[in-house]
Amino acid sequence: MDPIHQFEIKNLLPIIRIGGTEIAFTNSALFMLIALGLILALMLGATRSRALVPGRLQATAEIVYEFVADTLRSSAGQEGMKFFPLVFSIFVFILVLNVMGIIPYAFTVTSHIIITVAFALLVFLTVVIYGFWRNGLRFLKLFVPSGIPIYILPLVTAIEVMSFFSRPVSHSVRLFANMLAGHITLKVFGGFVVMLGGLGFLGWLGAALPLALTTVLTALELLVALLQAYVFAILTCIYLNDAVHPGH
Amino acid sequence: MARGFRLSTELVAGVLVGAAFGWGLDYLLGISPWGMIVFLLLGFAAGVLNVMRAAGVAPSGPLDRKR
Repeated sequence: MDPIHQFEIKNLLPIIRIGGTEIAFTNSALFMLIALGLILALMLGATRSRALVPGRLQATAEIVYEFVADTLRSSAGQEGMKFFPLVFSIFVFILVLNVMGIIPYAFTVTSHIIITVAFALLVFLTVVIYGFWRNGLRFLKLFVPSGIPIYILPLVTAIEVMSFFSRPVSHSVRLFANMLAGHITLKVFGGFVVMLGGLGFLGWLGAALPLALTTVLTALELLVALLQAYVFAILTCIYLNDAVHPGH
Repeated sequence: MARGFRLSTELVAGVLVGAAFGWGLDYLLGISPWGMIVFLLLGFAAGVLNVMRAAGVAPSGPLDRKR
């Protein structure tokens, strides 16, 4: 009945110590491995036959490929395509983790902020390191908009810097909060069904309403799971665009 | 709801980053409370800028201004 209970991290194997580091195999790690296995199975199965007229699996993989490639090309240009493996991995991994989370009793890995922060920092550091490596100090032009009078330029630059550093925060919080809020809502309405159902016949009548809502919310959650994976990927593309083409 | 959610995260992210920067500078340089005051305001401005960009009211960066 506790709506937060579903997000609990449990140790599945005894903790191994390597040096001073504790390595724990948790339910979160298990679901990440399952997602990895699913993606591998899909991709290997899709590329096994390599037919000119694709079968069902191959068509799925090709649609996902085309989708990510188009998104990346339209926001970061042809030059951004060298980041295709990164964007594709992030998109497919988050997509599978999100969708797996809707299955009852499954664990939603992306509802933990540490995971989404890790993804967002990966993107952020890629942008910063690649931006400086490729453009040198010209990368800093990103913070200096052109056509601004000189007396307010320092202020505008400071605001742009703060805006840049707030990117990984909003990037990670958006995915995490959407998944967390959606799953809590589902659990709360599910709890209403059980509580009202315990009251007898009139309770059963009353429980029909939250049950219908839960059904609708599950469909909505599926949409949110797909949409948030897409939003995460497209923001990654937009941020990578800054690394490839900082302000001219 | 998704749109409102997105905009509110943008604003909160700006303010949070401003607060973190201000607190860090205060801690490192011992200039409390000036770092917090200045960077909280800057963070708020950055948050508003983020929201305007996310809503499509402001151009999304130096690059797009040229286009």
